[in-house]
Amino acid sequence: MNVVPLSREKAPQAEAEPVVALRGITKAYGPTLANQAVDLTVGPGEIVGLVGGNGAGKSTLMRVLSGVTVPDEGSLVIGGAARNWADYGPGEAQAAGIRIVHQELSLCGNLTVAENFFLERPDAGSARPGWRRTYRALARQWLDAVFPGHGIDVDAEIGDLPIGQRQMVEIARAASDPDLKLLVLDEPTSSLDPERSRQLRSFIKSRAAQGVAFIFISHKLKEILEVTTRIVALRNGRLAWAGSVEGASVERLVEAMGGEAGASLRAGRQRHAAWSPGGGRVLARIDGEAVASLGHPVELRSGEIVGLAGLEGNGQRDMLHRLFTARASGDVACLGPVSFVSGDRQREGVFPLWSVLENIGIGRIAGRSEVSPVSSRAERAAAAPTVERLRLDPSRLESNILELSGGNQQKALVARALAGDGEVVLLDDPTRGVDVNAKAEFYGVVADVAAAGRLVVWHSTEDIEFLECDRVLVFSGGRIVRELVGEEISEEAIVNSSFLQPAASREVAGAAPGPAASPTRGNHLGRRLIGLMPFVSFIAVLGAMAWANPMVLSAFGLDLLLGSAVALTLIALAQMFIVGGSEIDLGAGAFAGLANVISATLLVDNPAAGAAVLLLAWLSYGLIAAIIHARKIPSIVVTLGASFIWVGIGYSLQPTPGGSSPEWLAPLFTWQIPGVPTTIVLILLAGAAAVLIDRSPLGVVLRGFGSNAGALERGGWSVLRYSVIRYLIAGAFALIAGLSLTAINTASDINSGGPFTLLSIAAVVMGGCALLGGVISPLGVVIGSLTLSLIGALLGTLGVSTDYNAAVQGGLLLLILVLRMAVDRREDA
Amino acid sequence: MPDLSSWMARNRWVWSLIGVLILWGILSLITDRVSLHSLSGVATSASFLVLAALGQMFVVTTGRGNIDLSIASVIALSAFVGLIVIGGNDGRIAVGLLAVLGIGLAVGATNAVLVVLFRIPAMIATLATGYVLATTTLIANRSIAGAVASPALAFVAGGKVGGVPVMFLIALAAVALSSLVLGKLAYGRTLSATGQNARAARLAGVRTGRVTATAFVISSVLAALDGALLSAYVGGAFLEMGAPYLLQSVGAVVLGGSLIFGGSSTAVGTLFGCILLVLIVTTMQITGLPPGTQDIVQGLVIIGVLALAGRPVLRRIVRAEPKAARGAGAQ
Repeated sequence: MNVVPLSREKAPQAEAEPVVALRGITKAYGPTLANQAVDLTVGPGEIVGLVGGNGAGKSTLMRVLSGVTVPDEGSLVIGGAARNWADYGPGEAQAAGIRIVHQELSLCGNLTVAENFFLERPDAGSARPGWRRTYRALARQWLDAVFPGHGIDVDAEIGDLPIGQRQMVEIARAASDPDLKLLVLDEPTSSLDPERSRQLRSFIKSRAAQGVAFIFISHKLKEILEVTTRIVALRNGRLAWAGSVEGASVERLVEAMGGEAGASLRAGRQRHAAWSPGGGRVLARIDGEAVASLGHPVELRSGEIVGLAGLEGNGQRDMLHRLFTARASGDVACLGPVSFVSGDRQREGVFPLWSVLENIGIGRIAGRSEVSPVSSRAERAAAAPTVERLRLDPSRLESNILELSGGNQQKALVARALAGDGEVVLLDDPTRGVDVNAKAEFYGVVADVAAAGRLVVWHSTEDIEFLECDRVLVFSGGRIVRELVGEEISEEAIVNSSFLQPAASREVAGAAPGPAASPTRGNHLGRRLIGLMPFVSFIAVLGAMAWANPMVLSAFGLDLLLGSAVALTLIALAQMFIVGGSEIDLGAGAFAGLANVISATLLVDNPAAGAAVLLLAWLSYGLIAAIIHARKIPSIVVTLGASFIWVGIGYSLQPTPGGSSPEWLAPLFTWQIPGVPTTIVLILLAGAAAVLIDRSPLGVVLRGFGSNAGALERGGWSVLRYSVIRYLIAGAFALIAGLSLTAINTASDINSGGPFTLLSIAAVVMGGCALLGGVISPLGVVIGSLTLSLIGALLGTLGVSTDYNAAVQGGLLLLILVLRMAVDRREDA
Repeated sequence: MPDLSSWMARNRWVWSLIGVLILWGILSLITDRVSLHSLSGVATSASFLVLAALGQMFVVTTGRGNIDLSIASVIALSAFVGLIVIGGNDGRIAVGLLAVLGIGLAVGATNAVLVVLFRIPAMIATLATGYVLATTTLIANRSIAGAVASPALAFVAGGKVGGVPVMFLIALAAVALSSLVLGKLAYGRTLSATGQNARAARLAGVRTGRVTATAFVISSVLAALDGALLSAYVGGAFLEMGAPYLLQSVGAVVLGGSLIFGGSSTAVGTLFGCILLVLIVTTMQITGLPPGTQDIVQGLVIIGVLALAGRPVLRRIVRAEPKAARGAGAQ
């Protein structure tokens, strides 16, 4: 069989229809033009290298290509067909065979490798039973194809894998698309060791030979030159250079990207000339584990600019944060007041509601006594010298901070740091997303700051910036492995030192950055104990009951004791699905109460109308999710408001407790088979239903949303749809809970549901679900509900007034949370 | 009119004032029972809500969806304790207020420890402390028999000076003080910073834990004082006494134009939000709506206002995202 009928032409580079063609893409964010009339065409089998400095517009262009961002101008042609921006989103991009491996990983940490493959390719057989097996095989197949000998367990949770392996899964997952036409890899090798990088490159080449196109984004220019067939360089949002790889060289690309190297080298040389080692006061000291490889402590002095270098995630940023919180003694000591400037301006820098002036002023105000007066005039006067020095436009001080360009925002943040009395200024990748000119200006500012007698500690993700430093500490595996001084500092020296340690230890450090972060066995044990807690406390409570009264363990006794547990279990399972999406429903109990009232009144008098109203109520419960997500408002307040609506409706239907159960309903919940405790069976059925939903493909998607909603949205899953589905599932459980109340009590009371709300949250927490979403455990929730129900009975048996029920339940909830947080914190530390 | 619209955008409390005026106008038109007398009734009811809502406002300002759900239980418990300790005797007011203050401080500190130290989500922590307190209230309920309010406290809570309810003056003073704290003191700035961006605040040197803890203590102390005054006003205490203040305190804060996401609050807005809510309830009572419908309307108003107010502010925050995201993606 030498002749293989190819459906696709084999590497028909020149003449074939381009896979994609972007033309004249222009996109502005406020005053900044992120892309300006950029063209990019990729033919089948081509490997296009996309290079450019930070903020050059690469990511914006890729977001346009992948349908996440709609440009202001420009056109897109995919496979010869022009696309309309209005109906081009992430889902359409994927359907057209365009996949993107984002630099910020888009895997769900709470799902297994195989489940993450499912999220990427739900069409590969999700409806059949045994779908997990399909995806396990798929995951294995593609990991083997891209990274032979990867050693990754496809049933491992992503969160337990080191960062390098996560990146491998990410790449293999995107590559697994059978209709793949174009794969965009954004800094794919940033966490891969040289061998894995080589495997990836050879995979790319072999797939390209089969006609798949690639866009390869990297800062490692040598890698770009090695793997690509054509290179496109961006600079300040414009196309700066494009040509085949034969005509490119590192020098040429650097020049095209803005000649940063040249400009900063000059400035750097000047600094080195002016700086003499050993001068200045000691302001910080690093000792202990972090300098074990270096063999001597590191002292940082006033007037110095010290760089923290290394591959990303090797402990540099962690060291910066340790310096920020350090005291005057200890392994990492800081002897002067500290201020911090982060390049992640949105998350760690700006206060979005404030003016520029207020954003600067907080640096001075933060350290003051709470009752000291503040005034804009005083702030303005205090900020004036710094503002002038940093050449910030004084007329814009009153503008909202977000109206400034990235570079000017960064200047304002530096002004904030200087406004305080910080002698030590920590910079965390400060020039992220800042354009080239602003960068050059920023380097000057940093030099001035150091010259004025402060210590600047600078972490950067761009090695070239370290040429601005007087000294560079190179990190690997959480430790400083090399100290470069003055003329020793070069990009090459930094890169070489970054790889000083074997790959294995680097990956461990990547998973949990920082020297002290490798989780010890004791903490895992602690977490496991916490996981067992619901079961242990259930057995303890049951044991205490049985000791007080052996009859408890009979089928009849259990039935009697757990009568109230049916409704609680159902409501707790409802709450569990909501919590799985990192929300909390304060109306779950009230909603069950409403279902109780409707089924005991309307459903009895007029079954059709009753059923219709129940259906309507259930749909409005789903509507809540739509409101929360369409308007992006907190679920707590919405569900609190909704709880008043449920109670109000129930109260209007039935002002005083009463009603009766429809005849057909009671037998569903109160059947009797001798020797079988009915309630236990009902509770197990509810739990089994929840387990089935959770283990189904739908459950995986819901858990994925709880963990990494952004990634799922980028992957083409609709947030709104799955929120509504989540609430409808929860609503169904709460509704059945209401029906069970009617059947078991043969009466209704709108106020009967309310107390279940706290109990349901307590059961969910006891059951081991994470309040931040993504981790749910139906079995734990069932056990938690049973325990909470038994506590009430236990108090009764012990002769304690039922008045104490609420206190015991509330106290227990707090105790569990405190214990859990204490264990988690020990793991963080 | 760009000046006016930007002024309105910065002073969101204007909307609640407009709401108050409109509802007041409607109320005057549809019924002749609106008089100066009922006006002072509205003012008094609103005043009790103001104290609770101001505390809630401080907690909401700390951001991250923080909210104090223990307010209702604190009000009920301190109402009981105030009545029992003072026992109708003016001479024991100081002791009674100290006891009530103690409740406020203790509950506030507990909430603060749970939220700040143990990083338990505020709503769960306060929900749970609220339940524990409810038990305490049940026990206090047994020893309440025959308690009456002391005359002096009853005057503070229900009396008038020159036709203006004393309670309303207290509420105005509390609003003025809160405005001062939010706008003119370092605490207000650090609180706003914490609420807008806790990470950035911590890195800017703000002691965010202390700031958040203080807000919880303020909330509980105000609720405790409110409860004591409320029991003096109604001349008794009952278990469900604080319940209406749970939703209404959050509602008044949101209606007043404070951001539910935290970071920006207005005490004056909260005042108008309280008056507006009380007016809505009063209108419903005057028009004879059944209690169930009143609950529904309140729930709808809160969700409606949130849904309307949620967006524009968010857009402003989201606008910053692409830049940062671009930086993040292009390393």
